[in-house]
Amino acid sequence: MVSATKVEGEYSFLSKNSHLDQSEGVKTHLYHFGAEHGNDDLKSTACPEQGPSLLDTILLSQWDNFAWKGHLDYDVTACQLKVIEGGINFVGQLNNKWNSFSLKEYDKLFESFRCSKPNSMKSYEGLLLCVAQGENDRPEVAPSASPPKDGLLLIANAYPVEYGHIFLVPAAVNQLSCYWDKRMFGLATKIASEVNNAAFRVFFDSRTHVVSDHMFFQACYFPNPLPVESASTVVLYEYGGNARSDIIVSETVGYPLKAIVFTSNNLKALVNVVSEICFSLHDNTTAYSLLISNNGTKVFLFPQVKNLVTGCSLSTWECGGYFIYHTKFEFDNASETEISKRMASVSLQDSAFEDLKHLCCAIAHDLVK
Amino acid sequence: MASSGAEEADPGEREREEHGDLHHQRRLASSLTARYSDWVLEALDELPGSFLLTDPALAGHPIVYASRGLTALTGYARREVLGSGARVFQGAATDRAAVAGVREAVRAQRAHQVAILNYRRDGSPHWVLLHLAPVFHARDGSVLHFLAVQVPIDDAGRGAGAPCRGAQGAVLAACREEARVDDDFPCASYSGKVFVDMDKRGLEAEKPRVASDSEKEKAISTANSIVAALNRYSKLTGLVVSGKRCDSVGIPALSSSLNLSLGRIKQSFVLTHSCLPDMPIIYASDAFLSLTGYSREEILGCNCRVLNGPGTSLEVIEEINQHICSEQACTVDLLSYRKDGSSFPDLLHVSPIRDASGKVAFHIWVHLDVGAKHDFNGLTPEVWQLGAVGAVRVAVRGLSASGSLLRPSQ
Repeated sequence: MVSATKVEGEYSFLSKNSHLDQSEGVKTHLYHFGAEHGNDDLKSTACPEQGPSLLDTILLSQWDNFAWKGHLDYDVTACQLKVIEGGINFVGQLNNKWNSFSLKEYDKLFESFRCSKPNSMKSYEGLLLCVAQGENDRPEVAPSASPPKDGLLLIANAYPVEYGHIFLVPAAVNQLSCYWDKRMFGLATKIASEVNNAAFRVFFDSRTHVVSDHMFFQACYFPNPLPVESASTVVLYEYGGNARSDIIVSETVGYPLKAIVFTSNNLKALVNVVSEICFSLHDNTTAYSLLISNNGTKVFLFPQVKNLVTGCSLSTWECGGYFIYHTKFEFDNASETEISKRMASVSLQDSAFEDLKHLCCAIAHDLVK
Repeated sequence: MASSGAEEADPGEREREEHGDLHHQRRLASSLTARYSDWVLEALDELPGSFLLTDPALAGHPIVYASRGLTALTGYARREVLGSGARVFQGAATDRAAVAGVREAVRAQRAHQVAILNYRRDGSPHWVLLHLAPVFHARDGSVLHFLAVQVPIDDAGRGAGAPCRGAQGAVLAACREEARVDDDFPCASYSGKVFVDMDKRGLEAEKPRVASDSEKEKAISTANSIVAALNRYSKLTGLVVSGKRCDSVGIPALSSSLNLSLGRIKQSFVLTHSCLPDMPIIYASDAFLSLTGYSREEILGCNCRVLNGPGTSLEVIEEINQHICSEQACTVDLLSYRKDGSSFPDLLHVSPIRDASGKVAFHIWVHLDVGAKHDFNGLTPEVWQLGAVGAVRVAVRGLSASGSLLRPSQ
């Protein structure tokens, strides 16, 4: 807590601060990746004996503390959940308070974290953690440090879709105004790997997760597999050579929304391939969502068309099979048929999807030589 | 039971009486050794202080064990009181209301503390703090014994006013009168030695003494030591006793996937079932069992108050209760007690946990021994604790295939 104290010479705390370096002021827990993870190997399964990872523990702890202090708009764990009947097991949540931010609000929110204005102290409560590359072998936490410029800020979302809902935002704005930040995508995937919790997923939505030409990610926890994660897949491409940089490209089967899945234990391979594909999609102005799951070893790509009739598209969460209903009536009457129809209406046409599949395989083949 | 000091009976009868005494004594001793191993008597002999164990299942609710310290305090030899009712220590000036309070506590099978006027073997009265507590069978909740601890209350008013000798004298006289009617009174065994000043007549009712905090604490800690000793020796005969009643019947079992998720969490915590009466513990982490010394079977079904003890602040307990009632989380500092009676400074966080239905299903109680050395990889104790809370929230929020988390118990 900050309090203004009268110091000799009648300087108040605030005015004293303005004489200091601009980067002072924002202090938070700083988590450093261990350097031993620099070899790009992603862990796909957690070892049960080890227990939750350090990053997992501190993230959950900070989020719970934030919730306990009453900064969330509502208690998301008080929102009822159900499995919607049918083979796909879509998940429905009854939540009349959630609404997705508009782009402008995102911009304002992140701006307040970038500038260390003392009078925006209040918004610092939502800054849970900063993550950055470290130099030591093992990961470590500094309880109070200024975020380094190449770090990623983890900021609590006051309108959570699920428990632990956060934004992943770069600590400093990249000078090059580039829409797709490969380094940032790599960091986001690495965070998924370090958290090492199958319930933790990171996601990106090309329509909404870009602010001032800079991308950001979101993440949250949900203990059950999402419907798309349980869907069957068929392999499209599998690099059979060097096992270390293996990447498997597959497509979902029987899932109402066409999706492509990239699986790899190699962070670099995954980041390179998916980034390249996203560049192409951006050039084609195709909207898409990414879901990073299974401790960062699996990336789901959901390409979408804009529904010309309703103009609606699906959020990443919805692509994954998790839907929020605002009224009890909608919640009670949610049906698999209706959801499948919605998904089909934004799904790529068959021919366009075939082209995309070819593109993915070609890129994977080119990059993973 | 105690020798009445009557005329000598004939040798034959005396022998039969002694044989009967011995048999009776064995029966009384077996009240303990049948439930606990034979070494329990030795263990109890080593405990300081004056205390008794009584068996409510035997006729007359007799004393089955008397501690070594009893003689120093009351003047009775231990074997003299075995088989008597505990009221052997009471006398004419003993407040009837206090006695009634004790009787009521016995009937209701609950703990009770009262300052009471007792009489030594020689008839001299003295004030003691009587601490009565039932010893429960941990499994079926039945009362096995009562323990009664006697802590002498300091004569604080010494020299301050005229000692109430007159009252004592009058009481003694009255006592001897009653003794002819009721054999239970110790004065019956006292044959006429007057050692009080009978000059001051006039009954001055003696004001009831108030026990000091240290005397109260001494009583409670002696009681805890007794239960701890009983527990240590009960395990050998397979019996577990508790100072608190636990009911392990009817606890719902958690789904295996939830158990698996909870099993990964390294902090010391329990989950209590928020909807069942008295909020029983339905899950305890391995770290919690190591911290407190209880086994999983012992602790499941108990209420969290098993960790409370003499030094546990009642205000803090009240604060926790209020937060539970208002469905809020809280972090408190309090003194908690392990199974062996030792205490530790506890940083405790209590929070309601909701399941997929959105309703409060459990409460989590995360403990941390602040006195012990910890390495949390750069995290503060508070951050470490909340990490467990967050992990449990995620795990409990899950949906099982059937839509429900708990299976009903068999």
